[in-house]
Amino acid sequence: MSNAAATSAAGGGAARRHVDIVMAGMARRRAAERRFRLYGRIAIGVGLFFLVVLFGSIVSNGYSAFWQTELRLDVKLDASQIDPQGGRDPAILGRADYGGIIKHRLREMFPEVHGRRDRIALYGLVSNGAAFELRARVLANPSLIGQTVSLWVPADDDVDMLMKGKIKRAGPEKDRRLKDNQLRWIDQLKADGRLEKRFNVNFFTRGDSRDPELAGIWGAAVGSFYTLIVTLLLSFPLGVAAAVYLEEFAPRNRWTDLIEVNINNLAAVPSIVFGLLGLAVFINFFGLPRSAPVVGGLVLTLMTLPTIIIASRAALKSVPPSIREAALGVGASPMQAMIYHVLPLAMPGMLTGTIIGMAQALGETAPLLMIGMVAFIADIPRGAFDPATVLPVQIYLWADSPERAYVERTSAAIMVLLAFLIAMNLFAVMMRKRFERRW
Amino acid sequence: MESQAISMKGNLDEQHDLSRARAAPAPTVSRETRGQTVGELRSQSARMRCTGVNVFYGEKHAVKNVNIDLGNNEVLAMIGPSGCGKTTFLRCLNRMNDTVSGCRVTGEIVMDGKDINARGVDVVPLRAQVSMVFQKPNPFPKSIWENVAFGPRIHGLAQNKVELDEIVVNSLQRAGLWNEVKDRLHEPGTGLSGGQQQRLCIARSIAVHPEVILMDEPCSALDPIATARIEELIDELRENYTICIVTHSMQQAARVSQRTAYFHLGDLIEVGDTKQIFTRPQHQLTEDYITGRFG
Ligand SMILES: Nc1ncnc2c1ncn2[C@@H]1O[C@H](COP(=O)(O)OP(=O)(O)OP(=O)(O)O)[C@@H](O)[C@H]1O
Ligand SMILES: [Mg+2]
Repeated sequence: MSNAAATSAAGGGAARRHVDIVMAGMARRRAAERRFRLYGRIAIGVGLFFLVVLFGSIVSNGYSAFWQTELRLDVKLDASQIDPQGGRDPAILGRADYGGIIKHRLREMFPEVHGRRDRIALYGLVSNGAAFELRARVLANPSLIGQTVSLWVPADDDVDMLMKGKIKRAGPEKDRRLKDNQLRWIDQLKADGRLEKRFNVNFFTRGDSRDPELAGIWGAAVGSFYTLIVTLLLSFPLGVAAAVYLEEFAPRNRWTDLIEVNINNLAAVPSIVFGLLGLAVFINFFGLPRSAPVVGGLVLTLMTLPTIIIASRAALKSVPPSIREAALGVGASPMQAMIYHVLPLAMPGMLTGTIIGMAQALGETAPLLMIGMVAFIADIPRGAFDPATVLPVQIYLWADSPERAYVERTSAAIMVLLAFLIAMNLFAVMMRKRFERRW
Repeated sequence: MESQAISMKGNLDEQHDLSRARAAPAPTVSRETRGQTVGELRSQSARMRCTGVNVFYGEKHAVKNVNIDLGNNEVLAMIGPSGCGKTTFLRCLNRMNDTVSGCRVTGEIVMDGKDINARGVDVVPLRAQVSMVFQKPNPFPKSIWENVAFGPRIHGLAQNKVELDEIVVNSLQRAGLWNEVKDRLHEPGTGLSGGQQQRLCIARSIAVHPEVILMDEPCSALDPIATARIEELIDELRENYTICIVTHSMQQAARVSQRTAYFHLGDLIEVGDTKQIFTRPQHQLTEDYITGRFG
């Protein structure tokens, strides 16, 4: 016992034990580790901060667009005015002067208003869309004719902005969009409980419009949907097939090297160039329709293909070669080894690449401007060949419009776009979870 | 002199086992002689006949002018220090080296009267005939059942699910894994222990009923009991098949093989009857290796 202690003391005196050297360095190592962790947290913190600022500003600007000021009118649907023959023929019902009925009702509500100029100011409180809404109500339910119906119609965008406090009532009258008499009528309507902010259904169901209170995101959303479907259907199979061929089957020679370099180059080409290409090739040469999602999809396919090919090849490369050997070793053909073993393992990576590509495509604006998807299109597209616009282009168009009410709609459209992106990413995560296998 | 970076753990036992080698007459070929294999290269009934096989990895000459027969109903053991080209040569026998880019194989390997390296030979049926168990266990990341069923299914060896099940069960039994996995056939093969994975890989390769089985250190991850089971299996398979096994255990080579080949730095130094190799090696290098003398 004492012997052992003596030896170890002697040993300790003679030479430093290795563990002492290790311990001496430990403080430095731990500090380095702590420092690295701190840098990581700072980086994430900065990223999160900007994300919160971005989302915060968009949401605070845009949430109000989900409510729209509406005006309650009790209109008398006079049969003699709407359906003089009494046949309830939709063609005749559709042609009746609903705008006149609404104006008539407004005059009734404010009998003191005289003179052409004042009357126009009064009619201006109600959106142009009110007549369409009344018409739609009657066409959907002709039995209303002869009755007095109470209906909410959208108010003009200036009224809406005033109600939301986005334009001021103070200041000289000539600088204001709403004149003194209009303000008076608005106050009266508000006092009567006829003016209210209600959920903005139009925003989610309609296409674009020159009147902000009637402008909706649905047209652009459908356009984006068709465009992305075309993109996905073309770029995923093409990209995966190209990646599989290049990675697994193609001989390694100068040609495949050249192709690889060019795929990488293609990924770096500015997207507007693809738009010009699409214009020249798909529209001018092949004569495909302008402004159509099918052309948008083709152009975006060109743009996303390199992303998908590069990600898919990386995913294939990361499959351990021993899996291929195992399959080949029992006599699987290269194709069978591919389909049964390599592809399922590479699928999560391929899907991630595809979703990144699709998310890029969803947010892409520039190339679509080139092929005419920037046109003003009020109708909801009913197929990939109908003229359409897409969400980012819609955002661009609204951001460019002078009316104050488009500001909140721009932010709201951004929120819809972000919701799309988040949904797509969630879907990607789900798919990855489903396909992921550990080895 | 070339030094071999090989761990000779367990070599002491082998020396004990092979003490007779010491008493054997001095080898007739000195260690400097290389490039020419000594011993019995050819066997009476050859299943595969290799003539002048060379393998290059780019510039590296990994296997040099190998001539050897794999006999019918015979186990050939390949021994030699690490990095001497055993795996590389084994992989020539079912053309697995095709998948390695930069690898070039020359020479002739004749099976059923045809050179398997010849132009136009389809490697798929060749590999179904000559199947391989790799040095590192490489089960598919799928269920145990799927692992074994894959081969028979792609080759259409079973008419229906019942037959396929039969093949799977039979293969697992023969590989000595059945009792351990019979209750978890549908759990992932990658969840097994290293030794179990290796036996799963053996089951997978015998499930296609190959005629030649190439085994690259199949027992390096196994305990003595599992090793004994595999050795039994090898003995059993020998009745119908040809087997080539790479091993670092000379006892195992002595136990399971009829013929033994000794590789050294890419050269096939000596081939011969196992008993003779371990008792009366003709080449100095062989004697040095089996007696644990190096350097
Ligand atoms: N893919 C490869 N590329 C380049 N060189 C290789 C490759 N595979 C093997 N080699 C080299 O070829 C030689 C033979 O390797 P091989 O794997 O056949 O050795 P081995 O005899 O099986 O060794 P061990 O007993 O350690 O498994 C080694 O020198 C090795 O470095
Ligand atoms: Mg090896």
